[in-house]
Amino acid sequence: MTQKTSLFEEHEALGAKMVDFAGWLMPIQYKNLKEEVKAIRESVGVFDVSHMGEFFIKGPEAIKFADYVVTNDISGAENLKAIYSPLCREDGTIIDDLIVYKLAEDELMICVNAANIKKDFDWLKSKVSSFDCELTDRSSDFSLLALQGPQSFEILKKLSLGFEPSDMAYYSIERSEDTLVARTGYTGEDGFEIFASHDRIKKIWKEMMDLGVAPCGLGSRDVLRLEVCYPLYGHELNDEVTPLDSGLKWTVKLAKNDFIGKASLSDYTPKYQLIKLTLDKGIPRDGYSVENTAGNQIGEITSGTMSVVLNKGIALARVKKELYNPEAEIIVDIRGRKYPAELNKKPFVTGGHK
Amino acid sequence: MAKILDGLKYTEEHEWISLDGNVATIGISDFAQSSLGDIVFVELPEEGEEIESGASFGVVESIKSVSDLYTPVTGKVVERNNTVIDTPENLNEDAFGSWLIKVELSDVTQLDDLMDSESYKAYCEANA
Repeated sequence: MTQKTSLFEEHEALGAKMVDFAGWLMPIQYKNLKEEVKAIRESVGVFDVSHMGEFFIKGPEAIKFADYVVTNDISGAENLKAIYSPLCREDGTIIDDLIVYKLAEDELMICVNAANIKKDFDWLKSKVSSFDCELTDRSSDFSLLALQGPQSFEILKKLSLGFEPSDMAYYSIERSEDTLVARTGYTGEDGFEIFASHDRIKKIWKEMMDLGVAPCGLGSRDVLRLEVCYPLYGHELNDEVTPLDSGLKWTVKLAKNDFIGKASLSDYTPKYQLIKLTLDKGIPRDGYSVENTAGNQIGEITSGTMSVVLNKGIALARVKKELYNPEAEIIVDIRGRKYPAELNKKPFVTGGHK
Repeated sequence: MAKILDGLKYTEEHEWISLDGNVATIGISDFAQSSLGDIVFVELPEEGEEIESGASFGVVESIKSVSDLYTPVTGKVVERNNTVIDTPENLNEDAFGSWLIKVELSDVTQLDDLMDSESYKAYCEANA
């Protein structure tokens, strides 16, 4: 059965194209995808991402538990900070990537990918029993909006959040009883993610529309995240690779106490690496073969699109380290035709986040 | 409502075809360009290539999607529109004015089974 977010009627009224995404009927685009990307890079836009999951961990050992299940450092972070982390198995492979919101010394919220809610919850539930804390899936209690773009804070101040938000630091959190605002996002731009009850989110959405915030769909969100080279689960990250194969070494804190995957990741030699490619002609797409000039496959595109900012094909590709030579020319096979690709050292676009 | 021109033939994959002697001109309909959104890339066969009815002869791509172009006719490509390769956005602005390829047909009766503008209009309404 396909689920609908609390804003389904609003999306329909705005003429959005709706698609099934992880069992949810979500807006893929409203009027024009390019305009949506530009709104977020240049002014401000909003995504309904209510399909994502929210888990709460509460109790004296909440932080200890979180530190045991994720690879990044939770206890070392200040309260009211958000921490991005992979969630790994004992062998180091990635179950999901998520954000941990440190609400208090005894309370955390975790936001996970919609497609992985059940997988993540089952995994965490199987690990929580030996810790003095309680794990609950409260995904159905929350709607979630991502307000993104350089004018986000100007808009945020005008919304009925139930409290006055301050000009908080990047990856910081402010909250009231029922509403949580974090300066996070998935576009590389400044912005805020707002977790609140369905009723409050409906009200905030209407306020945003009245203030001229551009409604943006998952299509533009994918272009925006790929332009700044943020990984997406199911593409760059999956059940078969580890964070060390995927450019996420910075999220694996081997110096912290025992955590799931620590032993495997401590002496793991990466098999793969992610590389950034641009094409002057042709648009690289997921699954296309990446080759050397001899025509041998060295990897494949994990995400590809036409960049709105650069107006050319951009892609992330997973290549086998043993076959990859960063000095050699790289070719992408697009429907049997060979297109030369240029290797980028840095993300395709630099976002303006704080 | 998408524009539909009279006097053209249409396919279920939303291509339009016009016939001049034994040369068919093929493009995509206004309905097609509107469903695709911003068209950013077009790939077409070279002049001289033989194409076969029912097979893919190229692609149009929007930012997020790749769509095959299907030919309803068999024949030899005698001309392709290089302007539309250089400026794919022309397809969004004027789908009927931006033809893709011209095909020399061995048999002009191939077009007989295609939809006329009236049937295509009904087809689009049913598939909207």
